[in-house]
Amino acid sequence: MADNPIIRFQGIGKRFPGVQALRDVSFDVARGSCHALCGENGAGKSTLGKILAGIYTPDEGELIVDGKAVRFGSPSDAMAAGIGIVHQELAFCENLTVAENLCLGRLPARATFVSRRELLRRAREYLAAIQSKIDPTRLVGALPVSQQQLVQIAAAVSHGARILIFDEPTSSLSQIESEHLFELIKQLQTQGVTAIYVSHRLEEIYRLCDTITVLRDGQHVGTKPVTELDQGGLVQMMIGRALEAYFPGHLQAKPGEELLRVENLSSPGKFENISFQLRAGEVLGFAGLVGAGRTEIAEALFGLDRLATGRVYVNGKPMPLRHPSIAMRHHVGMVPEDRKRHGLVLMMNGRENTSLPTLERFAGLGWVHPAAERRVAKKYFDLLHVKAPSIESVAAGMSGGNQQKVVLGKWLAADCRVLIVDEPTRGVDVGAKAEIHGLIDELANKGNGVLLISSELPEVINLSTRILVLRNGQITGEVSRANASQETLMRLMAGLCA
Amino acid sequence: MHPTIRRVFNAQQSGLILVILLLGAILTVFAGSHVDRMTGRSVNNFLNFHTLTQTATDASFFAIMAVGATMVIISGGIDLSVGSIYALAGTTMAMALRSWQFSNPFVTVLVALMLCLGIGLLCGLANGVMVVGLRVHPFIITLGMMWVFRGIAFVMSKAESILVPDALTSVVKTTFGSSSALYPLPMLVMIAVTALGAIYLSRTVMGRHIYAIGGNSEASRYSGLRLGRILIGVYALSGLTAGIAAFVGISYYGSATCGDATGYELYVIASAVVGGASLSGGKGSAINAMLGAVLIVLIRQAIRQLHFDQNYEWIIIGSAIVIAVVLDQLNTRLTAKRLAKG
Repeated sequence: MADNPIIRFQGIGKRFPGVQALRDVSFDVARGSCHALCGENGAGKSTLGKILAGIYTPDEGELIVDGKAVRFGSPSDAMAAGIGIVHQELAFCENLTVAENLCLGRLPARATFVSRRELLRRAREYLAAIQSKIDPTRLVGALPVSQQQLVQIAAAVSHGARILIFDEPTSSLSQIESEHLFELIKQLQTQGVTAIYVSHRLEEIYRLCDTITVLRDGQHVGTKPVTELDQGGLVQMMIGRALEAYFPGHLQAKPGEELLRVENLSSPGKFENISFQLRAGEVLGFAGLVGAGRTEIAEALFGLDRLATGRVYVNGKPMPLRHPSIAMRHHVGMVPEDRKRHGLVLMMNGRENTSLPTLERFAGLGWVHPAAERRVAKKYFDLLHVKAPSIESVAAGMSGGNQQKVVLGKWLAADCRVLIVDEPTRGVDVGAKAEIHGLIDELANKGNGVLLISSELPEVINLSTRILVLRNGQITGEVSRANASQETLMRLMAGLCA
Repeated sequence: MHPTIRRVFNAQQSGLILVILLLGAILTVFAGSHVDRMTGRSVNNFLNFHTLTQTATDASFFAIMAVGATMVIISGGIDLSVGSIYALAGTTMAMALRSWQFSNPFVTVLVALMLCLGIGLLCGLANGVMVVGLRVHPFIITLGMMWVFRGIAFVMSKAESILVPDALTSVVKTTFGSSSALYPLPMLVMIAVTALGAIYLSRTVMGRHIYAIGGNSEASRYSGLRLGRILIGVYALSGLTAGIAAFVGISYYGSATCGDATGYELYVIASAVVGGASLSGGKGSAINAMLGAVLIVLIRQAIRQLHFDQNYEWIIIGSAIVIAVVLDQLNTRLTAKRLAKG
């Protein structure tokens, strides 16, 4: 470890409702280095980056920058301490020009009127500092992502940032754009900037970084110089935890007839030529890193992607991909990844949320029969052990785990033959997780087909009959349960030769 | 419903009723009384059948529309065109009856009713199809159609005031056989429309879907709801209530012009909002919208009967609307806090 680290994390802890995102993380970042933060999805690497950038405040521990303990209440505090972040979601005012965005908060003004000439002069100066030739009069919203990133970097550098955090910067860049970014990072380093590089793309880390810190389940696993850690060793560190093998009942049964056949499913810019089939009694796992296209495929199958092309057959009958209601008519359901945005109407209660997709079934001539509706809602509340005062409890007031159970219940109540479940146990406590796993198994046992998308490798491996691995919108491998280990999957996901 | 929510929900409704009763009591106390010439008895200036029915009648014309407007607002939209739909339905009906001249009063009334309802429904459908098909914010669509519908009425009627047949007036101004000059029909229509609206919203699949869309349109789409169809239906119903209001209102007053119900859209939205509907969608009720309309009319009544300077009417009504909504939001925030704790 360096004697005079520029950043020292000391016992950092952060809790989100339902999950401990970080626990007692301590390590140093050497001055002028390019430091990689690695880990599986949900390991806490982005959270740590955001804590450093002042977007989150840690619940525990201390952040020491340049020997001084700091506590950032906002990104601007971090900025004042010389820390900037390049981050996709933290974009600019898209309706303003590059120049205005670069000078936002310190617009050159004379007697309240903005001085356009001075504004452009400064913006050009800032852009020149990173050798960028972006026209400062263009609207940020009109720029491609790669150039928006450059504007972010220019903004950070112009604020005198000595530490730059790159949070998955290449996830939506092309190969050439990524190369440009790498060159810029190298060049910034020669100017004395310390880079923190958050990514799970191993090849980039090995090209760019000199030190690697691995996080797993919110905990610090190790910090090592790149030279002492080969890719195999890195994958080992990322996976780490032993696989507690669990054999769900559906594995014993023989898969039945084909329920779902997907042929050459493609959607421009998201995924291409996806073909697979799902049999009755099977759980088909989808493994892949964030951005591999798993959720996008699920949404296309459920009729939520108008641009998707390809042929899909359910029970041998072709299913058009136009609207979720058509998918539901073919007995396909989907438990979406983002329960608050897509899964629940938060201001409605548990009963109303449970019956939302299937309300017609509890109704005659458009007239809801309250007793039938209550009975079904109650059934799934009991089956899933939803912890809420009653089925009349408003969804907004429930914990994440209970909300997830309501979303699951709503689709169980729909009696689907094919159920797509996207990250069914994210942000859910251990007990609820086991119950949800049991339910997925039971669904398969009853002769339904389940498409399971999960970022947790043990979950995918334990529950699935077969696993498809996706990378950059393509299927890169199919692994049977017998051959599935965290390591083989991780290698396929990261694009390493097995 | 969750007991807490039910309590709050009812609190809101009972709050409105409480305010209405309070205002009524104040009016009763301060409005004074006069001596009835026929019976020689002293009669309260406010608390008598005639004034009360008149107040309800005044409220009924836009309370009926407020029921439809509330559905639009619950779905997360807005309808600014209801006043113009009223005028268009009214003038078309009056002109048609003038040129057709049915001798049978029953046929006259039936045709008038069909015309008003049909035109209201068609105008609402046009709004809905445009909101859904063109993907333009409903504020813009209905703002534009507000002028288009009234403009059509203007061109058709050449800004004339057109008398409607007596058959209509005698039906809407029926006294149900009593000798007094009480005309309760508009009030009864208001109550009926409110009841139907309340049942539709709380008991039917469509009603539930309207709340769902307003609460979270994305989650509704992910649940297989056909958002387009549902929204078109909502605007159509809003137009339909404007048609009903036109039939009742035009028949009651006896004539139609293209300038009828100018500015009603704002009263209608105000009623819904005073009744606790949230402009961000997902929240509102038909009964509360009607109560909101009654409250607004009562405030107007108070200004007149208590001999306040009538020039202040708009200032007072405007302030009352803002206060009502602020109080309602405060209530919602307190509920959210209680929920977060429990």
